[in-house]
This record gives sequence, structure tokens and C-alpha cells, in this order.
Amino acid sequence: MRITRLAGSIAALSTAAVLAACSSGTSGSTSTPTAASGPVTLEFWCWGTTQKPKVEAFNKSHPDIQVKHTDVGGGTDTAAKLLTATRAGNGPDAACLEYETLPSMIVAGALADISAHTGDVKTAFSPEVWNLTSFDGAVYGVPQDVGPMVLVYNKKRFQELKIEPPATWQDFAKVAADVREKDPETYLATFAPAEFGNFAGLAQQAGASWWKVQDQTWTVGIADQASLAVADFWQGLIDKDLVKAEPLLTPEWNNKLNKGKILTWPSALWAPGVLYGVAEKQAGDWAIAPLPQWKEGDDRVAFQGGSALTVTKTSKHAEAAATFAKWMNTDKAANAVQIELGEYPASLAGQEAARTSAPPKLTANQKDYWDIATKAAQHTIPHISWGPNVSTAGSAFQDAVATAVRDHTPLRDALTKTHNLVVADMKTTGFKVAGP
Amino acid sequence: MTALPRAERRSRAPYLFVAPAVLLFVAFLAVPIGYAIYLSARGLRLTGKGIFGTREEVFVGLDNYVKTLTDPGFFAGFGRLALYGLISVPLTLGLALLFALLLDHAGSRAKRFSRTAIFIPYAVPGVTASLLWGFMYLPSTSPFSYLTRELGLGEIPFLGAGGIYPSLANIAVWGGVGFNMIIIFTSLRGIPSELYDAARIDGASEWQIAWRVKIPLVAPALVLTGLFSLIGTLQVYGEPTTVKPMTSEISGDWVPLMHIYRDAFVRDDLALASAASVLLAVGTLVVSVLLLKVTQKRAFGGMQ
Repeated sequence: MRITRLAGSIAALSTAAVLAACSSGTSGSTSTPTAASGPVTLEFWCWGTTQKPKVEAFNKSHPDIQVKHTDVGGGTDTAAKLLTATRAGNGPDAACLEYETLPSMIVAGALADISAHTGDVKTAFSPEVWNLTSFDGAVYGVPQDVGPMVLVYNKKRFQELKIEPPATWQDFAKVAADVREKDPETYLATFAPAEFGNFAGLAQQAGASWWKVQDQTWTVGIADQASLAVADFWQGLIDKDLVKAEPLLTPEWNNKLNKGKILTWPSALWAPGVLYGVAEKQAGDWAIAPLPQWKEGDDRVAFQGGSALTVTKTSKHAEAAATFAKWMNTDKAANAVQIELGEYPASLAGQEAARTSAPPKLTANQKDYWDIATKAAQHTIPHISWGPNVSTAGSAFQDAVATAVRDHTPLRDALTKTHNLVVADMKTTGFKVAGP
Repeated sequence: MTALPRAERRSRAPYLFVAPAVLLFVAFLAVPIGYAIYLSARGLRLTGKGIFGTREEVFVGLDNYVKTLTDPGFFAGFGRLALYGLISVPLTLGLALLFALLLDHAGSRAKRFSRTAIFIPYAVPGVTASLLWGFMYLPSTSPFSYLTRELGLGEIPFLGAGGIYPSLANIAVWGGVGFNMIIIFTSLRGIPSELYDAARIDGASEWQIAWRVKIPLVAPALVLTGLFSLIGTLQVYGEPTTVKPMTSEISGDWVPLMHIYRDAFVRDDLALASAASVLLAVGTLVVSVLLLKVTQKRAFGGMQ
């Protein structure tokens, strides 16, 4: 009896204990770059296959700076762990972060302003790309890879079904209906409720501006006219069963993809690499086309995904870390590794080098792959800005949209719900938010 | 060696003996709990520094508790949990008891093998089990759906709106039966065989022995396993989290612990998560004590 009661209390209380054990104190001790004697050792967190060879090359060419690379998980995991580690005062010196999480990391006081060290590489990037990491003159990282949005499609199946990649979203709807008619088991595309970044990109292409900031006053537009119109467009496709509403990259989805039952993925330049990972047998069958436009003749696209290499505020070697961040993303050898492994470099020189290289394996037979890629990269929308609580927005979006898809309630209501939650969260924290 | 006076030695000894336990308790239980409670009264609020301002930790009183208690999402999680528990707890206990009785039955064969076979799923880590079952649920990889499709019956919506509760409960039942069976079985082995002999002399059948002798005598074990299952249900996290990417049915706050995880590590609000976990811990404690109080007389009346 006594034992069971104690076991009960222990089990009950350990919930609280586990959570508390992972928490931390206050954030952000400032540090200055110190002149180091002997080689400086940097801790570096990043995910992805390109990092290991890049870091090895850096270590070889820099005897005075040695970098220790750790893969702590994908973009979301790295961001979450970096926050916790920073508060505990034992974060790394440098870390990769997705562009969309940068503002929230800045607000959390996790990142160092490295504008003092980046003057010499600013021109190595296009202004649109440089704006992804710099805010009001402060620089919070060096862009690493970017994902201009394109339509990735199964060309072989397109030819079998005698269809062409759509140029506008209106065409996209028509082609979607055509596909359903020609092969009732096949869908042109998937609408995945969890794809927050994808939807944000599509909305931005339509003219939406999800976050804007001026003099520390924010404007949130997650449910603005353009976003609602995009929601209504997909709603129409889902209601008529023209696209499949289900999560991406599940065993289920991969299986359908391999059977040629999912024909496109409107996503970004990194997608061929991802698809190759799950549908190796279809190498050469796929191709990319410009992302469909809302108005015929337009060529505007947003970025989806991509990451920057940042320096943390807790680093005692900010200057060395900045040197590392610059080399990793502007050096020829580093860019070459990126291109070889299918990552689209953020730097202009890297993008130029990519033009003359072979297309990724999934799209190996497409001769104009890099022409289309370069064109997409040159027409990205400038000044995309993300908010200070993107992760909250992302999780709210996923839950609201998944519920809407499941219960057949309007997607536009899900967007409004997300918007309200994001604004309420910002107000609780103390941000000034203009408008509703 | 200078010996201490007898009385002093005696007064010190007990403290020395309990010191390791107390130290461990303080370091790994009391301090973290205290910190969680402290953290639940804090919150990250904006201060003017930096280009966007910087979020810093300040005292916010009971804000986090108010926010948690007024969040319908948090309570909806308990609703889902109740539905899940209604399926998984009775099934786990019922099957565990059934298997234990069968193994204990004098006439059953291959006992050692059966015992191991039933216990083995418990040794499979929860995440592995969830992935395994996840594959068996997804329409295009599911052997069950393959069969029904071949028979022209269509696919079984394991991960659909109606199927998700039994599907998830099934993972827990599959993994939990073995452990609970062992507890009940051990308790059965402890029953003196004179009781069976007496029952047999009185003319009881095997069925009556099971129902009137064995089950009442293993009641304490049933209460214990029931309590563990109840607490286990309140702490459901791994299975739905692992299956989440496979379906749109499971939201980020599907059960209370997922809600807490999301607040802490996705939305970066450790303070809010601490408040919710303190509430969950207190709730679990209250439910456990109530369950024990209610079952105490019945289960332990004749034993203590």
C-alpha cells in the first residue's frame, strides 16, 4: 500500500520534474571577441549532408580556427535546442537557422549582431537574399542556402497523361481536374495541412505580407486579402477532390509518389533532393517548371525554406565564428560541396557556379534545369519578413488547418484563427501590434 | 579513535542512514519541482533593448495558470484522453487478467513460451511500437487494409476520425498487457494451494475457483495495475506524437502532455508549460489518491 502510493506520487510528480529539468535561467550574457592565443575551437550546430565535408575543408584551410560540428536535428529542433542552450549559457558558437526563425531568435537574445565583420561579403549576395538575415543594418547571419519556389513535376507521367505544366494557378486547377478525369487514382498535387512555410510562400507570391515591422510596431497579415484568396483557391480544389489533402512524406505519400499517383510538388529548389531520397527509382523522370502565377506573364516567386549560418551571443569567439560563417557560404570549395549535394547556394558566385553544373539526380534529364532555377532565384520577392513568434504561428496554423481539412470547415476561417492567435500571443509578450 | 558519547552517536545515526535518500530526493525531485513551480509564475515579456526588443523573464503572478485554465484546448486534451483511456485501460487489464489466469490454470500447455510471447511486446520501445503499428495502419502499407481491399471491402480507416482512438489504444494495449500480466500472475502464484484444495473439496469447478477464489485474492494487484494504467494514460505522449506525422487527425495539443511539450519547446513558453504541468501533476495526484481511497476497503480489507 505504502509502496503503491509512493509510486503514484513519484510518477505524477516526475512530469513536472522532467519539464523543469530541461528549463533554464535568464538569457544572454554579452561577450566580446577575445584575441585568442593558439587555435580557437568553435562549437557548431547544423543539420544536412553538406556540413561535414564543408567543415572538414574549413578546418584544413584554417589552422588557427578549428570547428567541431554537431548535428542536433533539423531546422525546428536546432532552433528549439539553441534557445534552451543559450538560456543555460552553454550554447554553441555558431549554428544554422532557418530564415523564418531568425526574428524569434533575435527577440530571444540568442544571436549576435555580426555587422562589424560582414562588410566584405555583403556584395557576394543579392539584396533580396542579404535582406533575409539583416534587419535595420544589424546582421544576424550569413545566408547559406535559399529555396526559390518552383513546380517540381513528374515529367514522365505528365507525358503519359498528355498534360503540360500549368503556367498559372487557374491552369493548375484545370490540369488538376484533367488528371482526375484521365486517371481517377492519381492527383496532380497534395495539400498538406502541416506545410506552414509552403503556404506562407504561396501567399507571399499572391501579395500577402504576413509580418511587417516599423519602429518596433508590428503589422500582422496572416489573414489579409491575398492570403484568404490563396486559402479559397485550395479550398476549391479540396472540395472538388482535385487535390489530395494529406500529410507529405509519410510512408503512405511516398508509396503513392513511387506509384506515380502524385504528379507535382509545388515547393522549392531543394525538393528534387528530398524526393530523390524517397523515390530513387524515378531519377531522371522528374523536372522543374516555373511556379504557376496568379497573373499570366508574371514571374514572382517567394522563398520557401533555406537557412543561414548565425553566430550566437554566448560565443566568446564572435570574430572567429563570423570568419567561419563567411567562409562556409562564400568560398568556392564550400559552394562546390553544396552544389554537388543538391543544395542551392545563397551566394551569387555559388549560384553562378551552379548554372554550369549537372542537374540533381531526380531531374537528371532536364537540360534547362539550372536556367529555370536561376530565373526563379532572380525573381524572388524582396523584403520577406518573418515575425518574432513564427514557431507559434506555425503550430497554430498546422492545428487550425488540419482541423479545417478534417471537419470540412473553411480554410479561410483557419487562417483567421491563426492570425488572431498570433496577434494575441504577440500582445501578451508585449509587442506593439497595429490593427486587429 | 575518540568514541562519541553513546547518546550522541545514537541521535546521529538515523540521519546518516537517511541522508543518501534525502539528498537524492532533494536534488532530483524536490528542487526540480520547486523550480517548476517558481517558473510557472514567470513569463517572457518584451523589454526595449535590441532592434525588435528582447524577451526577458519577469514575474507574472498567476497569469500562466489563468491562461491554462481558460484554454479550452487544454481541457479538450483531457476529453480525448478520457476516450482513449476508456478503451485502453479496461482492455489492458482485462486481457492481462485473462492471460494470467490462463497461464495459472493447471491444464494449460507451453506456459513458459506463452508467458515470454505475451511479455515481449513490453520490451519493444514505445516509439518503435508506434512506428510499427503506424505502418500497419497506413492504407498503402497496411496488410489489413490490403486484405479488405482485395476482398472488395475498401480500406480500413485506422487513422481516420473514428479509427484513431482504438488504433492508438491498441498500441498501448499491445505493449502494456505483458507487464500487467506478469504482476497479476506473480500475485496468483502467491496464493496458497490449500485454498484451491479446499475449494475443490467443496465442489468448486475451475471456473468457480477462478471467479470466487483467484480474482478476489489478486484484487490488490488489480488495483495496483489499474493505478499504473490510469497514471500511464494521463501521461500518454509517445504514441500520438510518433503517429502524428502520418495523419491530420492528431493535432499538436491532442493530449495534455503534447500541449505542454508544444508550449515549452515549439512555442518557447516554458513558463506556461510549467504551469500546465504543475496542474497536471496535482490532478494526477488527486485522481490517484481518490482511486486508492475508493478501492482501499475492497482491495485491502482482509489483507492488512
